[in-house]
Amino acid sequence: MRTVVLICRRLGRTLLLLALVAVGTILLMRFAPGYFSDSREMDAKYAQREQTELHQEEAKSGTFRQLAASTLGGWLHGDLGSSRQYGVSVMELVRPRLRVTAVLLVRGVVFGWLLALCTAFPLSVWRKARAVAGVPFTVLLAIPTGAMATLCLLADMGGPVLVLSLLLAARDFKFLQRLFDSAWTAPHLLQARAQGVRFDRLAAAHLLPNVTPQILGLATLSIVTALSAIVPIEVIFDVPGLGQLAWSAALNRDLPVLLTITLLMAAAVSCAGMIAPRDRMVQTA
Amino acid sequence: MKRRVAVVMLALMVVAAGVIVMLPGTSYKAQDREAIMSGATAHHWVGTDDVGRDRGVRVAAAVLLGLGGAAAAAAITTAIAAAVGAAAAFSAPGVASVLMLASDLFLSLPWLFLLMMVRSFLPLTTSPLHSAVVTFSILAALGWPACARAVYRGTLNLRSSEWMIQGRASGLRNTQLMRRHVLPHLLPLLIPQFLICVPAFIVAEANLGTLGLGIAEPLPSWGAMLLELDNSASLALSHWVYLPVVVLVMVLLLLESLTAEV
Amino acid sequence: MNVRFGVRQVTALVSVIFGLVGACQMPSKGPGELAWAMRYDPKTFDPAKVDEQASEEVRFLTDGVLIRVNRRTQQPEPELAASWNVSRDGRMISFRLRQGLRFSDGSALTSRDVAWSLRRVLDPATAAPVADEFLAPQEVKVEAPDALTVKVHLPKRVIGIENVFDEIAIEPAERPSEGKVTSGPFTVVDYKRGQYVRLARNANYWRRDAAGVQLPYLTGIRLDVLNNREREISLFERGEYDLIDSLPPDYFGLLQKKNPRAVLDLGPSLNTEEMWFNQAPGAPLPDYEKAWFRNRAFRVAVSQAIHRADLARIAYDGHATPAYGFVSPANRAWHNDGLRFPHEDVAAAAQLLAGAGFHKSGSSLVDAGGHAVKFSILTNAGNAARLKIATLIQQDLAAIGMQVTVVALDFPALIDRLMHKQDYEACLLGLSNVEPDPNTQMNMWISSSPNHQWDPSEKTPATPWEAQIDKLMQEQGTALLQKNRKLAFDQVQQIVADEQPFIYLVYPNTLYALSPSLVGVEPSIFQPGLIWNIANVRRQGTK
Repeated sequence: MRTVVLICRRLGRTLLLLALVAVGTILLMRFAPGYFSDSREMDAKYAQREQTELHQEEAKSGTFRQLAASTLGGWLHGDLGSSRQYGVSVMELVRPRLRVTAVLLVRGVVFGWLLALCTAFPLSVWRKARAVAGVPFTVLLAIPTGAMATLCLLADMGGPVLVLSLLLAARDFKFLQRLFDSAWTAPHLLQARAQGVRFDRLAAAHLLPNVTPQILGLATLSIVTALSAIVPIEVIFDVPGLGQLAWSAALNRDLPVLLTITLLMAAAVSCAGMIAPRDRMVQTA
Repeated sequence: MKRRVAVVMLALMVVAAGVIVMLPGTSYKAQDREAIMSGATAHHWVGTDDVGRDRGVRVAAAVLLGLGGAAAAAAITTAIAAAVGAAAAFSAPGVASVLMLASDLFLSLPWLFLLMMVRSFLPLTTSPLHSAVVTFSILAALGWPACARAVYRGTLNLRSSEWMIQGRASGLRNTQLMRRHVLPHLLPLLIPQFLICVPAFIVAEANLGTLGLGIAEPLPSWGAMLLELDNSASLALSHWVYLPVVVLVMVLLLLESLTAEV
Repeated sequence: MNVRFGVRQVTALVSVIFGLVGACQMPSKGPGELAWAMRYDPKTFDPAKVDEQASEEVRFLTDGVLIRVNRRTQQPEPELAASWNVSRDGRMISFRLRQGLRFSDGSALTSRDVAWSLRRVLDPATAAPVADEFLAPQEVKVEAPDALTVKVHLPKRVIGIENVFDEIAIEPAERPSEGKVTSGPFTVVDYKRGQYVRLARNANYWRRDAAGVQLPYLTGIRLDVLNNREREISLFERGEYDLIDSLPPDYFGLLQKKNPRAVLDLGPSLNTEEMWFNQAPGAPLPDYEKAWFRNRAFRVAVSQAIHRADLARIAYDGHATPAYGFVSPANRAWHNDGLRFPHEDVAAAAQLLAGAGFHKSGSSLVDAGGHAVKFSILTNAGNAARLKIATLIQQDLAAIGMQVTVVALDFPALIDRLMHKQDYEACLLGLSNVEPDPNTQMNMWISSSPNHQWDPSEKTPATPWEAQIDKLMQEQGTALLQKNRKLAFDQVQQIVADEQPFIYLVYPNTLYALSPSLVGVEPSIFQPGLIWNIANVRRQGTK
């Protein structure tokens, strides 16, 4: 029963979030400059025609109410509306790209975390190496995504998964390093070490259970970072995923497409926020 | 590296940058059009950029402007994340839900369009410095949600620890508990967040240039210099294009050393 | 918690690692296939509705037309029509089709298909952009007296009407196929949105070479949807792409160093880069600013203060030519060789400003009312050369005391300000001139046009010189003799050079990258410059 209540509560929260995101997105996009503009207006050959079409569109769906109604109509219709830039159903655009982005995200997050964990944990023990070993992650933080992509192209190796992984690993490493440092200085751990408990037992039985809740909390942060990073990475590497579509939709003011992708991202953010253990007692210094 | 050494080195860096910018005869905007993307010369010790401006002076000015702006914005956004996360953890469950819902909403909305609206409200003749202040303020206002949830979770965990229970039992108010006990335990979360935000905001400021915000010409933008690295043609012309990223790495390492023992 | 690394975990780790290494894989290229990139997806494959570059490119490669304009000579040449005849009064054009024409599916191509295609384009319901070229499309009559003859009756003469048929695709009657059944050299066989368009050779294409070999030589073309210059350059260097249209100047030098034979600089293009001031009376600007921008002396002084040679050398790496008029010297037929224009002269600029009531206060220029001359130049983000131009102009104008702010916006926001709100002070943009004929620029120079950028949609010409331009453009649009058209158009160019409503800066050069292994390419500055004769192009060693 408690589980059912919990599920209902979380579902309700997600639906409320999606409703607010939908309203917010429509408002922001509609009233940002350039919604009823098109680059073809600058082309003398096509300008007249383009301006007529835009005026007609503005008359038909210029107000927030009209836009919201047509958007809702599209969702109820099942095809999620029609893309402003491509003139096809949003479902047709989004469906093939969903898998591409999901695969990229999963690979990026998994490898990023593996790299961060496999570096932060040993360095929390062998502290002499940390000053030098931590430098590459600082360098990764300083290099913009576009530059990383160019370096991959010039070196003819690596790709979007590598760049996303390195981006996430650099950020996760910074958090994990502090987390492990702090965890190693917990009183019960210090006592266990003083009593000569073996390292593997120390790590498995005392350290990791202590930091797992915080790591899971950081996982949320990491997933959210990955979701934000997916757009520039897909654009730079020309990956035919949702991030690339979102960027194109934003630049071309394609509300139905951007709204759908924004709602998907919001749902992902909401789900990421549910990755959390129940509250438990934590021993800290 | 000891904290004191890091402080001294950071201070020296800032002073050196200030001296370079203030030196008579130097200018971050003067264009030497006969020396485009040049290497090191007697007049330009670290070469020039793509319109002939002294790279050394521009990097120095960018360090002062970018570091000041990004560090301030990163500090503000981290503080907001800490405040929202901690407030949510110490509030009634309903209030916490609302705060976290707001945080998720902030994360999900396409703020790109808000930034376009901000640009449209600003006068076109807004000075580059004002534009920079507005940009970093916006970054500070929008950068907190991701960390707020992690702070909330972390604070919730801390709230049920033994020493917190003891502190409450001994009569400490929530604000006192937060200031004396919770905040120090959140530092392993907040400091990395600050350190990550600094370079992220430097680059984000340059990306906002596509919306008409950011640090406008002729003021030097550290982020824009970093973005030069994504152009293979620039990389082939001069190795001095790497200078801004080298300086940024040094600054980040110094900041890390500064906060290592916190 | 037990941490153990078993075989299963290691395998998972390895497969994740291998997943890292692959970049997004493009479909591989066949031996007789060419590949290159287009910036974005074609918006339509219906040749009648083409209104942007990507769709136009696909239409050019796939659809057969009655007449094709030779991009080298600029002369119309027979294509599906073996011959044509324009009546003396210019109101009837008669086409004679070639014998034995077939569509790609083997069905016969006759005058019925031509008539249907033309009527479809002219039908207002189709909303075909090219219909406007007929001036009164709803009054055009098309008849097909026999299987090989088509007659088009025009309500009024259209100058250069033959060239319009270069843009009208002939499709199977009653069976429009969006590029899948065509009469041109290729057909559309596959399209993956956001990834590529694949074209295959039309085995029923009518053209043969001198040895009787059927064209096209190529087996197919792959057009990748790619908007990343770095990746495009990298793929070209690896041989994945065979050509790059409109190569940016900074990458020209990079590629030239690696392989000088792979890059081409054809000299000035038809395009221009220019800046202009907002002269719209209804613009939301202070009156004193409007007074500056409407002052000819102010505009000419700004023009004289700008060092165009530096713009060409620095912003375009030398791959541009200083511009003083709106007709590029590459447009030999229409360029005014005797144009007089204000030359670069900072001292003369200062004098002009002094004469107009401006004076220096410290290092700042102020007007007669004591207002410091400060304005912004708006341009679009994402164009590195243009941003460099803006930065250079900022410095040039600082020398005469003007304080300039550069603002780069994304295109929709820019257009909103320019075309809808007129909320800007100065603008720096480029104009892409696809065709050399002045009639294609009517909308820019006629004062009542919404594209009359500095003061759109004037109810009546705001100044005598704008009225004069209106008159001269109408004159050249209706004159029967070429020399009379040229005379009128030369005068328009002179007025523009005198009044400087647009301050022309440079003509960017036409820069291409082309694989040295290709044979038969005849590069031209007229679009589509590298592929206009695609049927004759092949790779060395193939036939």
